[in-house]
Amino acid sequence: MMKKSLKPFRDIIALALGHLTVFKHVFKRPVTLEYPEKKLPLNDNFRGEHALVVDNEGKLLCTACGTCQRVCPSFETIEIEKEKNESGKFYPKNYTIDLNKCIFCGNCVQYCPFGAIIMTKEYELADEKKSALKLDINTLKKNYSDSIIKKTVKSKR
Amino acid sequence: MEYLYFLYIDFLHKYNLPEFIGMATFPLLPFCMVAAALILVVLFLVLMERKVLAFFTQRKGPNRVGPWGLFQTIADAIKLLCKENITPTGAEKFMFNLAPLLAFVPVMVVWGLIPFSSEFDFMSYSVSALLFMTIASIPTLGILLAGYASNNKYSLIGSFRSVAQAISYELPLVFVLVSIVVLASSLNLRQIVLAQISVYPFCGWFIFPAFLGFLIFFICATAELNRCPFDLPEAESELVSGYNTEYSGMKFAFFFLAEYAMMFIMCAFMATLFLGGFLSPFGFYLSERFIHNDLLAQVLVYFEQVFWLFLKTFFLIFCMMLVRATLPRLKSNQLMGFAWKVLLPLSFLNLFFICCYKYFIYAK
Ligand code: SF4
Ligand code: SF4
Repeated sequence: MMKKSLKPFRDIIALALGHLTVFKHVFKRPVTLEYPEKKLPLNDNFRGEHALVVDNEGKLLCTACGTCQRVCPSFETIEIEKEKNESGKFYPKNYTIDLNKCIFCGNCVQYCPFGAIIMTKEYELADEKKSALKLDINTLKKNYSDSIIKKTVKSKR
Repeated sequence: MEYLYFLYIDFLHKYNLPEFIGMATFPLLPFCMVAAALILVVLFLVLMERKVLAFFTQRKGPNRVGPWGLFQTIADAIKLLCKENITPTGAEKFMFNLAPLLAFVPVMVVWGLIPFSSEFDFMSYSVSALLFMTIASIPTLGILLAGYASNNKYSLIGSFRSVAQAISYELPLVFVLVSIVVLASSLNLRQIVLAQISVYPFCGWFIFPAFLGFLIFFICATAELNRCPFDLPEAESELVSGYNTEYSGMKFAFFFLAEYAMMFIMCAFMATLFLGGFLSPFGFYLSERFIHNDLLAQVLVYFEQVFWLFLKTFFLIFCMMLVRATLPRLKSNQLMGFAWKVLLPLSFLNLFFICCYKYFIYAK
């Protein structure tokens, strides 16, 4: 224990040291990352905008089984219109994900039995219109091809 | 100043303008210069504050508008001027509009009292130091009025705090000022500066005998200006933004301008009292030594004096920003306790010491 009479001096020294510590930071390089020009590298597990996987023949892997709909914690986020094709298989005629409601939990991707839905690394989704955040089947397909071109996902071909 | 007046009349004669125009406009010229300089300084100061705080926290600060972010404040100012001037329904209209002016105009006046160079102080009275302290405490009234008139409890509490703070910190401030007056044997600011001339460069500055006084003055000035760590009147986390919560647009700009201008003026005042004001730290003026053209050197000396004053002022402002970046905000009771229990006795001690110093050493 220091004597009580010395406390003011100890405080003054502590104050001076504090100011010195702050002052030292002037000479350090700023840690700012200027966002729109430079971006942080993303993790491989990053969960961004969705995409529906398309195989070599340009067909969707999705079978409209509805698992993703069932595991989605958010209300009425995924909407699927089922349809049978000539060979008796189900396929999604329309498939919408409403990003206004989606919480980007990734459950749909995790539980899809066919690996038919993935998440890209696209995260700059802001738009003027709410409707632009409702992704229909064509957008989801396009997202997949875009992310293949940008090499943000591995091709499943 | 008289010499300048004749030059001005002469200049008008050349263009066949009658003398009374000169008589009428001559007093306006210093005012225009003061006002323009003040606005420019404030514009720069806001940018500097943001930049310096950014450096202390390893950020970059504003750098988008113009090169190195130089036009950021101008953009902000234009934004403020374009905004709507809202007067709350329950507000006391007349006082609500009067308050920003009351906060701003005294700042403009004290700005003219600072001696910028040995020939060039716009207002020089035998008691200008006293006048400075008197007028510099008027903005507090504006703040009180703003808090009272805006019909908002946050504003009211903020302004009460501000007044309580200003009153308690004014006392040590004035006692330190008295010690400087004792040292300089004058209340005129220019005489105070000239009293700091000594044989050796910068040894005569009053910061050396009155270092304790300088520290007290610095702390009190920070408190007067409502800056961190004494920014209780504007404590954002508790009081939204204190007395100027209800203000917007031009009126808010007035408060903002007054605050930063007062910061610059307080630091200039401090530089005048303690750091030798416009005196060169080398003991001689660079332009006198290096420029051999007599007339040019004579003119340049004045500009150099202004330069030294500004350099010292900006050094002090930098220190204030360092303090702001380092210390957290005080509690209200700590604030008052510190002023009355620590600073006031210390300022007495400082005054006593200075008087002894003056009696035994200076007087010989
Ligand atoms: S990421 Fe989660 S919330 Fe979004 S659609 Fe998939 S399961 Fe639903
Ligand atoms: S995306 Fe996967 S889980 Fe969802 S309906 Fe298609 S196949 Fe089923």
